[in-house]
Amino acid sequence: MFLAMKEIMRNKTRFSMIVIIFVLIAWLVFILSGLGNGLSTLAASVFKNMDADYVVFQQGSQSSMSKSLLPEQWVAEAEQLPDVSAAAPMGSTMATALKGQSNRNEDKVDIAIIGIQPGTFLEPPVVEGERLSSDHPNNVIVNVTMKDEGFRLGDTFQLDGSTESLTIVGFVKDQTYNHVPAVFTPMAEWRKIAFAAPGSDKGIADPVNAIMLQGKNIDPRAVDGKLTDTDTVTRAKAVQGMPGYKEESGTILMMLVFLLAISAFVLGVFTYVMTIQKTHQFGIMKAIGARNGFLSRAIMSQVLVLSLASIVIGVLLTYGTAAIMPKGMPFKLETNLVVGYSIVLLVIALLSSLVSVRRMTKMDPLQALGRVE
Amino acid sequence: MEQGLQLREITKYYAEGPNRIAALDHVSISVAPGEFVAVVGPSGSGKSTFLSIAGALLRASEGEVFLNGRNITKLSDKELSNIRLKEIGFIMQSSNLVPYLNVLDQLLVVKRMAGKVKAEDKKFAIRLLEELGLGSKLASFPEELSGGEKQRTAIARAFVNDPNVILADEPTASLDTRRAHEVAGLIAQEVKSRRKAAIMVTHDERLLEYCDKVYRMEDGKLNLV
Repeated sequence: MFLAMKEIMRNKTRFSMIVIIFVLIAWLVFILSGLGNGLSTLAASVFKNMDADYVVFQQGSQSSMSKSLLPEQWVAEAEQLPDVSAAAPMGSTMATALKGQSNRNEDKVDIAIIGIQPGTFLEPPVVEGERLSSDHPNNVIVNVTMKDEGFRLGDTFQLDGSTESLTIVGFVKDQTYNHVPAVFTPMAEWRKIAFAAPGSDKGIADPVNAIMLQGKNIDPRAVDGKLTDTDTVTRAKAVQGMPGYKEESGTILMMLVFLLAISAFVLGVFTYVMTIQKTHQFGIMKAIGARNGFLSRAIMSQVLVLSLASIVIGVLLTYGTAAIMPKGMPFKLETNLVVGYSIVLLVIALLSSLVSVRRMTKMDPLQALGRVE
Repeated sequence: MEQGLQLREITKYYAEGPNRIAALDHVSISVAPGEFVAVVGPSGSGKSTFLSIAGALLRASEGEVFLNGRNITKLSDKELSNIRLKEIGFIMQSSNLVPYLNVLDQLLVVKRMAGKVKAEDKKFAIRLLEELGLGSKLASFPEELSGGEKQRTAIARAFVNDPNVILADEPTASLDTRRAHEVAGLIAQEVKSRRKAAIMVTHDERLLEYCDKVYRMEDGKLNLV
């Protein structure tokens, strides 16, 4: 640490240039991860925030709600299965909410209608207003972001291409689906909307899209063995099955991985070049008795100081960026995500400096004496 | 137990194509504490190889090196590095200071290599630097020092760990006559007052007056002059 700090203080320009580069990389890593997190939240927060462990789909539905249809009576059967502590049906369909009879662009809002049975574990807690009730099938609870679109508590809105109209009785938080706000309706109302066309229920009585199960030790194969033609998957798998979800998060993840690889090389090469420049110095210090461990610590602690400083600046800049970002941006920073990527960056920096440490240990102190005869 | 530095029948071969060249040919020398010995000779005569072996930087092909009676011929790299740190003080050609450390830190970093720097270490380092006329330069960096001052810092650095052996490799190579005399005189003075076994490799014949014995190295053979 002594040598590392003395050298940094003596060569501020050189080291601040390295810090600037690493800050930019760290900044971009954090922004991308926030963006990826925001997008995946937008795409699937209904799934991610619900308190279910397994999802029962129709066989052949590729873990996708829109491709799956099951009779609701199986909910009762599923509840009887071993290790299942609770089961609840769920349906989803995309729709457009119309504010009044207006034809203006801003008065049409895409929504995802999520049909659930009121009172089950799938019903999210309301932050404002009241809960769903089976007695009033047209009363719905909606994601709080609909307020930004001008919807208020007690508003009634029409669905485009449908005779149904819904009344907002409550707001819920962090409930989006397929990038649009979720509107929770009682099951009966959802069926009216989703199966308005004759025959679209394929003749299934009381159809639902999927059945959510609670229970940590559920054996999916046992569930599929009891129910006919079902495919039971974990909730995480169901999230992956959402249309476009894998592609979207895969793109972000690929960029992040590339960025991390680039940061490893950029830092590694910088340290390596500086280490080679210091061959003579390391040689002198070895000649006067410095052990490899002493000099390795000097290199590593220097990288540690530089990367820690860069990461801290990067984090601050990221929060600054988040503060001035437009509200519509799907950007969501989470502390554990920031901490996680900080650690990854730090580890990458330290690992990449090992190449330099190895180079240093191979340097010959004899070179310091100038000539070898 | 014999004090100081002894080299017995040291031979060092370098492979050169199919032949091997003896850079050192059965070299023996003994330097007692308080004795300042000079080794002179033309370049290519094996002086550097000799100093590297005496300084535990290079292993001999044959023969043994004793430091205060301890045979260091067969020690591991790590042990040799420890010997260099604690038992040997190197004075190299000028400009071999660490560029980003000030004069005092040049000495303290050697202490740090061995562990923690205590308050008395710092006091000792400052006293040493004052003795060598660098009292006003403690906070200066190498680039702000003259050639003579740099070399005096290097002398102080060699003495800071209180080693038993001082080895100097052309310590006056880049200095003018007056500074060369000053530096050689200071080395001699410290060697005498602190009772170190010292060897100086040089081809500067002006400096031999400061030494107790002069050896001449020629084609790998060492002879007392």
